[in-house]
Parts: sequence; structure tokens; C-alpha cells
Amino acid sequence: MTQQRIVEDTFHDMANMTLFFSAAASYSKPRLATFWHYAKVELVPPSPAEIPQAIAGVKKILSGVNSGRLGQTTVKEAFRNGLVCTEVLMWFYIGECIGKRGIVGYDV
Amino acid sequence: MVPPVAVSPLIKTARYSALIAGIIYGKRRYDQLKPIAAEERRVEEEEKKVREEQERIAKAIAEASEESILNLMKMP
Repeated sequence: MTQQRIVEDTFHDMANMTLFFSAAASYSKPRLATFWHYAKVELVPPSPAEIPQAIAGVKKILSGVNSGRLGQTTVKEAFRNGLVCTEVLMWFYIGECIGKRGIVGYDV
Repeated sequence: MVPPVAVSPLIKTARYSALIAGIIYGKRRYDQLKPIAAEERRVEEEEKKVREEQERIAKAIAEASEESILNLMKMP
């Protein structure tokens, strides 16, 4: 290949790559914005003021167990609570993946 | 767009404490499994060496005792 052809092809590839990256950026910016819009409220860690509220919530559940109020949860509520507990459990597995520095299996 | 839901603090603390617990558990289990795997690899290496040695000896014996047409020429 002549040197001129090589240079032309390199410029052509670089132009395609810049187009690709700018297209990716313009695709992901609004989606990133919506993600941040929800994550800022829903995914923040609890502030130190909220931890006593959490402990109070646990106590409320325990008193509900003792008084038998929990036996009156509807199936819909129980299903919803089960989904929430499953989600909390999945965070544990994500933490384990972070701790073992791998997605599948331990890299020993 | 649907407004973001205000998550109850109990769920938030549960999520993040589960995350931190998972990180600690993962790190501990990794540190626990790493020496065990190293030990197994060492044992495997030694056994492989012994096996290869035996194979080498067996092959030498087989070669020494094989009868081939070429060896007929060496008969006294």
C-alpha cells in the first residue's frame, strides 16, 4: 500500500472513531441524567440522622411479630416485602463480588 | 417522569450494611481460600513430577525391550 493510502485510511478510521464516541456520548447523556435524577434520591446511603430511624423500624417489626400483627399481612404486601428483602440480599452478593475482586468465583 | 421514591431509612441502612458485610465477607473468604489453593497447587506439582518420572522410566523400559525389525540387524 502506498504511504498516501495508509495516511488516508488512518484519518478515515480516526474520523469514524470520533463519530462513534460522540454518538455514544450523545446517546448516554440523557440516560445518565435520568439515572442520576433517580439515584440522587433513591440510592444514597443513609445519613447519620436516619440510622436511629432504621433501628426504630426494626423494633417496630419485632413488636409486630410479638403482637401477631404480622399474621395479618396480605399476600400482596408479603410478596412486596419479599422482593425488597431479595433486593437487600443481592446487595450482599454485590459486596462479596467487590471483596473477592471478581465476578464469578474466587481468583486464587 | 415518575418522581423518585423516598426510600425508607430502614431499607437504606439494610442495603448499605449488606453491601459492607458482603465486601468484608468476600475479602475474608478470599484470604482464607488463597493459601489452600496454593497448597493444592504445590501438591499437584509434586505429584505431577513423580508421575512424569515414572512415565519416563516406563517409557525407557519399553523402548529397551521392544522388538522391532530394525533390531534384527543387531542380533549377533
